[in-house]
Amino acid sequence: MERNKELKSEMPRICLVSSGDEAGEQSGRLETQLTLLPHHLPCIVQIREKRLSTHELLRLAHRMKLLTLSKKVLLVINERADIALAAALDGIHLPENGCSPMVLRPLAPTMLFGCSVHSFEASQVAEESGADYLIFGPIFDTPSKRPYGPPQGLEKLRRLCQSTTLPVFALGGVRPENAESCMAEGAYGVAALALFMDTTRFIDTIEELYHTVTP
Amino acid sequence: MIPASPFLCVITDEALCPVTLAQEALKGGAAMIQLRHKSASGSQLFSWAVAIGKYCRQSEAIFIVNDRLDIAMASGADGVHLGQEDMPAKTARKIVGKKYLIGVSAASIHEALEAEKDGADYVGFGHIYPTSSKEKRNSPVGIDTLQQVFAMLTIPILAIGGINSQNAGFIISSGASGVAVISAVSRTDDPLYATRKLVDAITTYT
Repeated sequence: MERNKELKSEMPRICLVSSGDEAGEQSGRLETQLTLLPHHLPCIVQIREKRLSTHELLRLAHRMKLLTLSKKVLLVINERADIALAAALDGIHLPENGCSPMVLRPLAPTMLFGCSVHSFEASQVAEESGADYLIFGPIFDTPSKRPYGPPQGLEKLRRLCQSTTLPVFALGGVRPENAESCMAEGAYGVAALALFMDTTRFIDTIEELYHTVTP
Repeated sequence: MIPASPFLCVITDEALCPVTLAQEALKGGAAMIQLRHKSASGSQLFSWAVAIGKYCRQSEAIFIVNDRLDIAMASGADGVHLGQEDMPAKTARKIVGKKYLIGVSAASIHEALEAEKDGADYVGFGHIYPTSSKEKRNSPVGIDTLQQVFAMLTIPILAIGGINSQNAGFIISSGASGVAVISAVSRTDDPLYATRKLVDAITTYT
Protein backbone atom coordinates (compact mmCIF):
# COMPACT_ATOMS: atom_id res chain seq x y z
CA MET A 1 0.00 0.00 0.00
CA GLU A 2 1.29 3.39 -0.87
CA ARG A 3 1.47 5.68 2.07
CA ASN A 4 0.18 9.21 1.89
CA LYS A 5 -0.80 9.15 -1.76
CA GLU A 6 -2.96 12.26 -1.48
CA LEU A 7 -0.26 14.28 0.21
CA LYS A 8 2.16 13.29 -2.52
CA SER A 9 -0.16 14.44 -5.27
CA GLU A 10 -0.74 17.73 -3.54
CA MET A 11 2.50 18.33 -1.77
CA PRO A 12 2.67 20.35 1.46
CA ARG A 13 4.14 23.84 1.10
CA ILE A 14 6.25 23.73 4.24
CA CYS A 15 9.32 21.60 4.68
CA LEU A 16 10.70 21.23 8.20
CA VAL A 17 14.34 20.16 8.23
CA SER A 18 15.61 18.52 11.39
CA SER A 19 18.24 20.46 13.29
CA GLY A 20 21.09 17.95 13.09
CA ASP A 21 21.23 17.88 16.88
CA GLU A 22 19.73 14.44 17.47
CA ALA A 23 23.18 13.03 18.24
CA GLY A 24 23.96 15.61 20.93
CA GLU A 25 22.56 17.17 24.08
CA GLN A 26 19.65 18.69 22.16
CA SER A 27 18.41 15.28 21.04
CA GLY A 28 14.65 14.96 21.18
CA ARG A 29 13.89 18.27 19.46
CA LEU A 30 12.45 16.62 16.39
CA GLU A 31 10.19 14.49 18.55
CA THR A 32 8.96 17.64 20.33
CA GLN A 33 8.38 19.42 17.00
CA LEU A 34 6.42 16.51 15.57
CA THR A 35 4.35 16.13 18.73
CA LEU A 36 3.48 19.82 18.61
CA LEU A 37 2.78 19.91 14.87
CA PRO A 38 -0.94 20.66 14.41
CA HIS A 39 -2.94 17.82 12.87
CA HIS A 40 -4.44 19.96 10.11
CA LEU A 41 -1.11 21.34 8.91
CA PRO A 42 0.48 19.58 5.90
CA CYS A 43 4.24 19.37 6.19
CA ILE A 44 7.24 17.63 4.68
CA VAL A 45 9.53 16.59 7.51
CA GLN A 46 13.10 15.96 6.48
CA ILE A 47 15.29 13.91 8.81
CA ARG A 48 18.79 15.27 8.32
CA GLU A 49 21.05 13.93 11.04
CA LYS A 50 24.53 13.42 9.71
CA ARG A 51 26.12 12.50 13.01
CA LEU A 52 23.96 9.47 13.77
CA SER A 53 25.00 5.92 12.94
CA THR A 54 22.83 3.97 10.53
CA HIS A 55 21.25 2.03 13.37
CA GLU A 56 20.47 5.20 15.33
CA LEU A 57 19.03 6.84 12.21
CA LEU A 58 16.82 3.85 11.61
CA ARG A 59 15.52 3.95 15.18
CA LEU A 60 14.86 7.68 14.90
CA ALA A 61 13.04 7.17 11.60
CA HIS A 62 10.84 4.45 13.13
CA ARG A 63 9.95 6.62 16.13
CA MET A 64 9.20 9.68 14.00
CA LYS A 65 7.04 7.66 11.66
CA LEU A 66 4.88 6.51 14.56
CA LEU A 67 4.51 10.12 15.71
CA THR A 68 3.35 11.27 12.30
CA LEU A 69 0.95 8.48 11.37
CA SER A 70 -2.08 10.53 12.33
CA LYS A 71 -0.73 13.77 10.85
CA LYS A 72 -0.48 15.29 7.40
CA VAL A 73 3.21 14.61 7.21
CA LEU A 74 5.40 13.31 4.44
CA LEU A 75 8.42 11.94 6.24
CA VAL A 76 11.60 11.97 4.18
CA ILE A 77 15.20 11.21 5.07
CA ASN A 78 18.42 12.67 3.78
CA GLU A 79 20.37 10.43 1.42
CA ARG A 80 19.54 7.03 2.86
CA ALA A 81 17.18 5.20 0.54
CA ASP A 82 17.89 2.02 2.53
CA ILE A 83 16.59 3.56 5.74
CA ALA A 84 13.61 5.03 3.92
CA LEU A 85 12.76 1.51 2.74
CA ALA A 86 13.40 -0.11 6.12
CA ALA A 87 11.18 2.37 7.97
CA ALA A 88 8.62 2.71 5.15
CA LEU A 89 9.09 6.47 4.93
CA ASP A 90 7.57 8.67 2.23
CA GLY A 91 10.70 9.84 0.53
CA ILE A 92 14.37 10.57 0.19
CA HIS A 93 16.04 13.94 0.07
CA LEU A 94 19.30 14.12 -1.81
CA PRO A 95 22.01 16.71 -1.27
CA GLU A 96 23.71 18.07 -4.37
CA ASN A 97 26.60 15.60 -3.92
CA GLY A 98 24.26 12.70 -3.19
CA CYS A 99 23.30 9.82 -5.44
CA SER A 100 21.15 10.72 -8.41
CA PRO A 101 17.39 10.10 -8.00
CA MET A 102 17.66 8.20 -11.28
CA VAL A 103 19.77 5.44 -9.75
CA LEU A 104 17.75 5.24 -6.52
CA ARG A 105 14.26 5.40 -8.06
CA PRO A 106 14.21 1.70 -9.02
CA LEU A 107 14.76 0.79 -5.34
CA ALA A 108 11.87 2.92 -4.17
CA PRO A 109 9.49 3.55 -7.08
CA THR A 110 6.66 5.11 -5.07
CA MET A 111 8.81 7.37 -2.93
CA LEU A 112 9.16 11.09 -3.23
CA PHE A 113 12.61 12.30 -4.31
CA GLY A 114 13.71 15.79 -3.33
CA CYS A 115 16.96 17.40 -4.38
CA SER A 116 18.88 20.27 -2.83
CA VAL A 117 20.23 22.55 -5.53
CA HIS A 118 22.41 25.63 -5.41
CA SER A 119 22.61 26.53 -9.10
CA PHE A 120 20.61 26.51 -12.35
CA GLU A 121 22.81 23.73 -13.65
CA ALA A 122 22.18 21.52 -10.62
CA SER A 123 18.46 22.22 -10.88
CA GLN A 124 18.42 21.10 -14.51
CA VAL A 125 20.36 17.93 -13.69
CA ALA A 126 17.95 17.14 -10.83
CA GLU A 127 14.93 17.65 -13.06
CA GLU A 128 16.37 15.45 -15.81
CA SER A 129 17.16 12.78 -13.20
CA GLY A 130 13.54 12.60 -12.17
CA ALA A 131 13.42 14.64 -8.96
CA ASP A 132 9.94 15.40 -7.60
CA TYR A 133 10.81 18.69 -5.92
CA LEU A 134 13.75 21.00 -5.36
CA ILE A 135 15.05 22.91 -2.38
CA PHE A 136 16.94 26.02 -3.43
CA GLY A 137 18.92 28.35 -1.24
CA PRO A 138 20.12 30.09 0.72
CA ILE A 139 17.69 32.83 -0.27
CA PHE A 140 18.33 35.19 2.66
CA ASP A 141 21.24 35.70 5.00
CA THR A 142 21.48 32.89 7.54
CA PRO A 143 24.35 32.33 10.01
CA SER A 144 24.92 28.66 9.15
CA LYS A 145 25.43 29.42 5.44
CA ARG A 146 27.67 32.51 5.74
CA PRO A 147 30.89 30.52 5.24
CA TYR A 148 29.65 29.59 1.74
CA GLY A 149 29.35 33.17 0.56
CA PRO A 150 26.48 35.62 0.06
CA PRO A 151 22.86 34.41 -0.20
CA GLN A 152 21.34 33.67 -3.62
CA GLY A 153 18.61 36.26 -3.21
CA LEU A 154 15.05 36.61 -4.49
CA GLU A 155 15.99 37.51 -8.06
CA LYS A 156 17.84 34.21 -8.51
CA LEU A 157 14.96 32.36 -6.88
CA ARG A 158 12.59 33.85 -9.45
CA ARG A 159 14.80 32.84 -12.36
CA LEU A 160 15.28 29.36 -10.98
CA CYS A 161 11.53 28.87 -10.51
CA GLN A 162 10.96 30.02 -14.09
CA SER A 163 13.59 27.61 -15.39
CA THR A 164 12.06 24.45 -13.94
CA THR A 165 8.71 22.71 -13.99
CA LEU A 166 9.33 21.25 -10.53
CA PRO A 167 8.00 22.70 -7.29
CA VAL A 168 10.75 24.75 -5.62
CA PHE A 169 11.05 25.23 -1.87
CA ALA A 170 12.94 28.34 -0.81
CA LEU A 171 15.43 27.72 1.99
CA GLY A 172 17.75 29.86 4.06
CA GLY A 173 16.68 32.61 6.42
CA VAL A 174 13.02 32.18 5.49
CA ARG A 175 10.59 33.49 8.12
CA PRO A 176 6.85 34.20 8.25
CA GLU A 177 7.69 37.87 7.49
CA ASN A 178 9.58 37.18 4.26
CA ALA A 179 7.98 33.92 3.08
CA GLU A 180 5.45 35.81 0.99
CA SER A 181 8.21 37.41 -1.05
CA CYS A 182 9.51 33.91 -1.92
CA MET A 183 6.02 32.81 -2.97
CA ALA A 184 5.70 35.95 -5.09
CA GLU A 185 8.84 34.95 -7.00
CA GLY A 186 7.32 31.60 -7.89
CA ALA A 187 8.39 29.32 -5.03
CA TYR A 188 6.00 26.46 -4.39
CA GLY A 189 6.80 26.52 -0.69
CA VAL A 190 9.41 27.17 1.94
CA ALA A 191 11.86 25.04 3.88
CA ALA A 192 13.44 25.91 7.20
CA LEU A 193 15.54 24.51 9.98
CA ALA A 194 16.63 27.24 12.43
CA LEU A 195 13.20 28.91 12.29
CA PHE A 196 11.63 25.93 14.01
CA MET A 197 14.33 25.36 16.61
CA ASP A 198 12.68 27.37 19.36
CA THR A 199 10.07 24.80 20.33
CA THR A 200 8.36 27.16 22.79
CA ARG A 201 7.20 29.23 19.79
CA PHE A 202 6.93 26.32 17.36
CA ILE A 203 3.15 26.13 16.97
CA ASP A 204 2.75 29.90 16.47
CA THR A 205 5.66 30.04 14.03
CA ILE A 206 4.54 27.19 11.83
CA GLU A 207 0.87 28.30 11.86
CA GLU A 208 1.90 31.80 10.83
CA LEU A 209 4.11 30.41 8.10
CA TYR A 210 1.34 28.12 6.93
CA HIS A 211 -1.05 31.03 6.48
CA THR A 212 1.57 32.95 4.55
CA VAL A 213 2.37 30.20 2.06
CA THR A 214 -1.11 28.78 1.54
CA PRO A 215 -2.61 30.23 -1.63
CA MET B 1 27.42 -16.53 -3.18
CA ILE B 2 30.37 -16.24 -0.86
CA PRO B 3 33.63 -17.29 -2.60
CA ALA B 4 34.99 -20.82 -2.20
CA SER B 5 37.15 -21.29 0.88
CA PRO B 6 39.86 -20.26 1.52
CA PHE B 7 39.55 -16.78 0.08
CA LEU B 8 40.89 -13.29 0.59
CA CYS B 9 38.72 -10.21 1.03
CA VAL B 10 40.38 -6.84 0.54
CA ILE B 11 38.67 -3.87 2.15
CA THR B 12 39.32 -0.42 0.71
CA ASP B 13 41.20 2.16 2.74
CA GLU B 14 40.26 5.83 2.92
CA ALA B 15 43.90 6.75 2.32
CA LEU B 16 43.85 5.43 -1.25
CA CYS B 17 41.58 5.58 -4.29
CA PRO B 18 39.28 2.59 -3.71
CA VAL B 19 39.05 1.78 -7.41
CA THR B 20 42.83 1.63 -7.90
CA LEU B 21 43.25 -0.48 -4.77
CA ALA B 22 40.48 -2.86 -5.87
CA GLN B 23 42.07 -3.30 -9.29
CA GLU B 24 45.44 -4.18 -7.75
CA ALA B 25 43.86 -6.54 -5.24
CA LEU B 26 41.90 -8.31 -7.96
CA LYS B 27 45.05 -8.74 -10.05
CA GLY B 28 46.70 -10.21 -6.96
CA GLY B 29 43.95 -12.79 -6.55
CA ALA B 30 41.49 -11.33 -4.04
CA ALA B 31 38.13 -13.11 -4.38
CA MET B 32 36.13 -10.46 -2.56
CA ILE B 33 36.30 -6.67 -2.43
CA GLN B 34 34.52 -4.59 0.17
CA LEU B 35 34.06 -0.88 -0.49
CA ARG B 36 34.28 0.89 2.83
CA HIS B 37 34.43 4.68 3.02
CA LYS B 38 32.77 6.56 5.84
CA SER B 39 33.25 10.13 4.64
CA ALA B 40 32.65 10.06 0.87
CA SER B 41 29.54 11.67 -0.62
CA GLY B 42 26.74 9.49 -1.95
CA SER B 43 27.51 10.25 -5.60
CA GLN B 44 31.21 9.56 -5.10
CA LEU B 45 30.49 6.27 -3.33
CA PHE B 46 28.07 5.25 -6.05
CA SER B 47 30.51 5.90 -8.87
CA TRP B 48 33.26 3.98 -7.05
CA ALA B 49 30.82 1.12 -6.46
CA VAL B 50 29.88 0.95 -10.15
CA ALA B 51 33.55 0.90 -11.20
CA ILE B 52 34.67 -1.67 -8.61
CA GLY B 53 31.63 -3.84 -9.34
CA LYS B 54 32.61 -3.93 -13.01
CA TYR B 55 36.19 -5.01 -12.25
CA CYS B 56 34.95 -7.63 -9.78
CA ARG B 57 32.65 -9.16 -12.38
CA GLN B 58 35.52 -9.29 -14.87
CA SER B 59 37.60 -11.18 -12.28
CA GLU B 60 34.65 -13.29 -11.10
CA ALA B 61 35.11 -11.84 -7.64
CA ILE B 62 32.40 -10.87 -5.16
CA PHE B 63 31.74 -7.19 -4.51
CA ILE B 64 30.15 -5.89 -1.35
CA VAL B 65 29.54 -2.42 0.05
CA ASN B 66 30.01 -1.53 3.70
CA ASP B 67 26.97 -0.13 5.55
CA ARG B 68 25.22 1.55 2.59
CA LEU B 69 22.67 -0.99 1.44
CA ASP B 70 21.13 1.62 -0.87
CA ILE B 71 24.44 2.16 -2.69
CA ALA B 72 25.01 -1.60 -2.80
CA MET B 73 21.63 -2.23 -4.40
CA ALA B 74 21.71 0.74 -6.76
CA SER B 75 25.19 -0.16 -8.03
CA GLY B 76 24.39 -3.83 -8.55
CA ALA B 77 26.82 -5.09 -5.88
CA ASP B 78 26.57 -8.71 -4.74
CA GLY B 79 26.01 -7.81 -1.14
CA VAL B 80 26.34 -5.55 1.84
CA HIS B 81 28.51 -5.73 4.94
CA LEU B 82 26.88 -4.48 8.12
CA GLY B 83 28.63 -3.40 11.31
CA GLN B 84 27.02 -3.52 14.74
CA GLU B 85 26.13 0.20 14.40
CA ASP B 86 24.58 -0.30 10.97
CA MET B 87 21.20 -1.59 9.92
CA PRO B 88 20.32 -4.90 11.64
CA ALA B 89 20.74 -7.87 9.30
CA LYS B 90 17.13 -8.89 9.90
CA THR B 91 15.91 -5.52 8.60
CA ALA B 92 18.25 -5.61 5.62
CA ARG B 93 17.12 -9.13 4.77
CA LYS B 94 13.50 -7.97 4.55
CA ILE B 95 14.52 -5.37 1.97
CA VAL B 96 16.78 -7.48 -0.22
CA GLY B 97 15.31 -10.97 -0.02
CA LYS B 98 17.01 -14.32 0.40
CA LYS B 99 19.57 -14.30 -2.38
CA TYR B 100 21.46 -11.13 -1.52
CA LEU B 101 24.73 -11.55 0.34
CA ILE B 102 24.68 -10.07 3.84
CA GLY B 103 27.77 -10.06 6.05
CA VAL B 104 27.79 -8.91 9.65
CA SER B 105 30.71 -7.80 11.81
CA ALA B 106 30.95 -9.57 15.14
CA ALA B 107 33.43 -9.02 17.95
CA SER B 108 32.18 -11.71 20.33
CA ILE B 109 30.64 -15.17 20.30
CA HIS B 110 27.31 -13.60 21.25
CA GLU B 111 27.36 -11.16 18.33
CA ALA B 112 28.37 -13.95 15.94
CA LEU B 113 25.48 -16.15 17.05
CA GLU B 114 23.06 -13.23 16.80
CA ALA B 115 24.27 -12.49 13.27
CA GLU B 116 23.64 -16.07 12.21
CA LYS B 117 20.20 -16.01 13.80
CA ASP B 118 19.39 -12.71 12.03
CA GLY B 119 20.06 -14.26 8.65
CA ALA B 120 23.63 -13.22 7.89
CA ASP B 121 25.39 -15.23 5.16
CA TYR B 122 28.76 -14.85 6.81
CA VAL B 123 30.27 -13.30 9.90
CA GLY B 124 33.20 -10.93 9.77
CA PHE B 125 34.85 -11.95 13.00
CA GLY B 126 37.53 -10.00 14.81
CA HIS B 127 39.67 -8.33 15.32
CA ILE B 128 41.73 -11.46 15.81
CA TYR B 129 45.04 -9.69 16.50
CA PRO B 130 45.80 -6.08 17.47
CA THR B 131 45.43 -3.71 14.53
CA SER B 132 45.48 -0.01 13.82
CA SER B 133 43.21 -0.01 10.77
CA LYS B 134 39.87 0.65 12.39
CA GLU B 135 38.62 2.24 15.56
CA LYS B 136 38.04 -0.64 17.94
CA ARG B 137 35.34 -1.32 20.49
CA ASN B 138 37.03 -4.32 22.09
CA SER B 139 40.40 -5.91 22.72
CA PRO B 140 41.51 -8.59 20.22
CA VAL B 141 39.37 -11.73 20.35
CA GLY B 142 42.31 -14.08 19.76
CA ILE B 143 42.61 -17.41 18.03
CA ASP B 144 40.89 -19.43 20.79
CA THR B 145 37.67 -17.48 20.41
CA LEU B 146 37.87 -17.84 16.64
CA GLN B 147 38.05 -21.62 17.09
CA GLN B 148 35.07 -21.56 19.47
CA VAL B 149 32.99 -19.48 17.07
CA PHE B 150 33.92 -21.86 14.27
CA ALA B 151 32.64 -24.77 16.36
CA MET B 152 29.34 -23.00 17.10
CA LEU B 153 28.41 -21.41 13.76
CA THR B 154 27.15 -23.01 10.61
CA ILE B 155 27.76 -19.96 8.37
CA PRO B 156 31.26 -19.11 7.09
CA ILE B 157 33.61 -16.95 9.11
CA LEU B 158 35.66 -14.18 7.56
CA ALA B 159 38.45 -13.42 10.03
CA ILE B 160 39.70 -9.85 10.26
CA GLY B 161 42.17 -7.81 12.25
CA GLY B 162 45.95 -7.86 12.26
CA ILE B 163 46.16 -10.61 9.67
CA ASN B 164 49.27 -10.78 7.48
CA SER B 165 50.97 -13.32 5.25
CA GLN B 166 52.76 -14.84 8.30
CA ASN B 167 49.64 -15.69 10.29
CA ALA B 168 46.98 -15.99 7.56
CA GLY B 169 47.49 -19.72 7.04
CA PHE B 170 47.10 -20.37 10.75
CA ILE B 171 43.81 -18.40 10.73
CA ILE B 172 42.44 -20.60 7.96
CA SER B 173 43.57 -23.77 9.73
CA SER B 174 41.69 -22.48 12.80
CA GLY B 175 38.41 -22.61 10.95
CA ALA B 176 37.98 -19.33 9.09
CA SER B 177 36.67 -19.62 5.52
CA GLY B 178 38.52 -16.52 4.55
CA VAL B 179 40.51 -13.58 5.80
CA ALA B 180 39.82 -9.90 5.35
CA VAL B 181 42.52 -7.24 5.36
CA ILE B 182 42.79 -3.50 5.04
CA SER B 183 46.25 -2.17 5.85
CA ALA B 184 48.11 -5.41 5.03
CA VAL B 185 47.33 -4.58 1.40
CA SER B 186 46.60 -0.85 1.29
CA ARG B 187 49.51 0.36 3.40
CA THR B 188 52.19 -1.33 1.37
CA ASP B 189 54.31 -0.09 -1.51
CA ASP B 190 52.90 -2.79 -3.77
CA PRO B 191 49.27 -3.76 -3.03
CA LEU B 192 49.24 -6.32 -5.86
CA TYR B 193 52.29 -8.15 -4.47
CA ALA B 194 50.92 -7.93 -0.90
CA THR B 195 47.64 -9.46 -2.07
CA ARG B 196 49.41 -12.25 -3.91
CA LYS B 197 51.49 -13.11 -0.83
CA LEU B 198 48.35 -13.29 1.31
CA VAL B 199 46.53 -15.45 -1.23
CA ASP B 200 49.54 -17.78 -1.34
CA ALA B 201 49.60 -17.92 2.45
CA ILE B 202 45.94 -18.99 2.77
CA THR B 203 45.98 -21.45 -0.11
CA THR B 204 49.20 -23.25 0.87
CA TYR B 205 48.81 -23.57 4.65
CA THR B 206 49.43 -27.02 6.10
